[in-house]
Amino acid sequence: MPIKTIAVASGKGGTGKTTVAVHIANESAKYRKTILVDLDVEAPDSMAYFPGARRINDSAIVEVGIPKLAPALCDGCGICAKACRFGALLALGGVLTIDSQICKGCGRCEPLCPHGALTEAAFPVGEVSLYRDDRLTLAEGRLKIGDIRSTQVIEETKRIARSRDFELEIRDCPPGVTCPTTHAVHGADYLILVAEPTEFSHHDLEAALRLAREMKVTTGIVINKEGFGMASLEDLAAQYGVPIIGRIKFSREKAQAGAITKMWSEDPVAMEELGRILDFAIGASAAEVHNQ
Amino acid sequence: MKTLSVASGKGGAGKTSIAAALAFSLKPRSIFADCDVDAANGAIALRAESAPGEPYRAGPGYMINPAHCSSCGACRTACRFSAISGPPETDGFSIIPELCERCAACMDVCPSRAIETFVKTAGMLYVSSGGPGIPIVHAELVPGEDTSGKLVSLVRKRAQEIAANLTNAVSANATGEETIIVVDCPPGIGCPVIASTTGADLVLLVIEASASGNRDASRLVTLLKSMKRQMVAVINKTGLNETMDRRARGLAIDSGIVVAGEIPFDPALRSAEESGKTWVSAAGEAGSATRRALRNVEKMLESTITSQFHKE
Repeated sequence: MPIKTIAVASGKGGTGKTTVAVHIANESAKYRKTILVDLDVEAPDSMAYFPGARRINDSAIVEVGIPKLAPALCDGCGICAKACRFGALLALGGVLTIDSQICKGCGRCEPLCPHGALTEAAFPVGEVSLYRDDRLTLAEGRLKIGDIRSTQVIEETKRIARSRDFELEIRDCPPGVTCPTTHAVHGADYLILVAEPTEFSHHDLEAALRLAREMKVTTGIVINKEGFGMASLEDLAAQYGVPIIGRIKFSREKAQAGAITKMWSEDPVAMEELGRILDFAIGASAAEVHNQ
Repeated sequence: MKTLSVASGKGGAGKTSIAAALAFSLKPRSIFADCDVDAANGAIALRAESAPGEPYRAGPGYMINPAHCSSCGACRTACRFSAISGPPETDGFSIIPELCERCAACMDVCPSRAIETFVKTAGMLYVSSGGPGIPIVHAELVPGEDTSGKLVSLVRKRAQEIAANLTNAVSANATGEETIIVVDCPPGIGCPVIASTTGADLVLLVIEASASGNRDASRLVTLLKSMKRQMVAVINKTGLNETMDRRARGLAIDSGIVVAGEIPFDPALRSAEESGKTWVSAAGEAGSATRRALRNVEKMLESTITSQFHKE
């Protein structure tokens, strides 16, 4: 049976991506082999919902191959610097400088050097950890502080999660609609966009819906914190032809539980709704997998 | 001219609302630079009339011309980012735009020169006027684009040009007060956050008083310390959990960061936003807590200005 992947994203931060992802992953693990993959590598927070989880791997270091210079062989011709699209190589006055923080590790420069002065060295940019909590497995990607190569950490986390045998993969994606999010969503069979009834969220949900349309991924909207604001999201759902697959009411009690990353187990109405959201998403992603 | 960047690590911590409130209380010497180009909400918070924008072009995009492609697969072997699809999964070879880092390594190895570049409009840049007469520089990146760091730098540069003009106008009025650029940062700790805080005179750290808010703020503090940024903190959404409130204060104190104030989790702040106001105009305790906190931030900013002046 092919693995099914559900990505949870939002556009705006703080609407409840992580909350929805951990609840549906926890529910799914009761019935099938499930992995929750935290791809918000700049601010990974889903692990905090599972204080009893234990580590099941030595964390895998994510590395990119960056150029290493043999100065004796370099004549400072600057061919490599001219080719680098990221500005990571600078040739000035016959001297080459390598900025290992900016280099994306594309490997373009090394074969271009006419003197064979560039080799490759591994440079750490983050790590991937695997945890197990009761029936649920968790993979967490984490960007090294000060590094900018989020997308490399996201791709490696996806690869490690995919290399194991699961029936369902649920991805907690980063906020925004640019490269970290597109990498996190790429390859998913179904996308859940979590929004709240505020003007900010309305604006950012539209950007996320445009991204979903661009990426051709089947999408559903979950309205979280219903009643917290007065903005309506129905117009966007209609305009983009995307169904609203769940509604979770705002309550101070749920906000309080969220503040200490505690699940909403004391709110049966919300828990039932999250179960329905999971079932709908699985049904929709199964249809996608079948069509492929 | 001074720059204050508002950042939080966690999304939804209240950055934009607090940045807008600060710009509002600093007018007429404030400029709002919305550097959260993925989710630009500053213009909504300040009720800006949308002005006509100008296109922002990033570097070139890449595509494989099927008429020239010999299907040798050399490009796919050279690509480190798995951004080229080909047989047996697909009929011909093509570049997956979401995964392409645009390094051009594929062009070097293609024997039939089948890989071509094309100009992409990656977004739009706008200079608008906020309802209360605050200039706002903001941008919209085309969803899926990958150059937010560059666009952030462009937004900041445009804000500086406006600030320079405003400084001239203010000197002419002889009020003597410096113009302040309020930068609304994106969430996270990655490339666009670094671009939004580089060179800032002061970073206002918005700590959400929650487990996630504290953890993400703590990662951001480590980043900003390595960048040698001066910081001041506002703790937002207090009153949901006492332990988290205490932890947020502890995080600031342990890092040697002054807490300018605490803003409770209060629906009155949402009501203010929904009636077109910023948090400084909110009713009740939340409104007065916001005003107190922002006055302290302004004082910190003044002293930052003085210390810089002495250095020169």
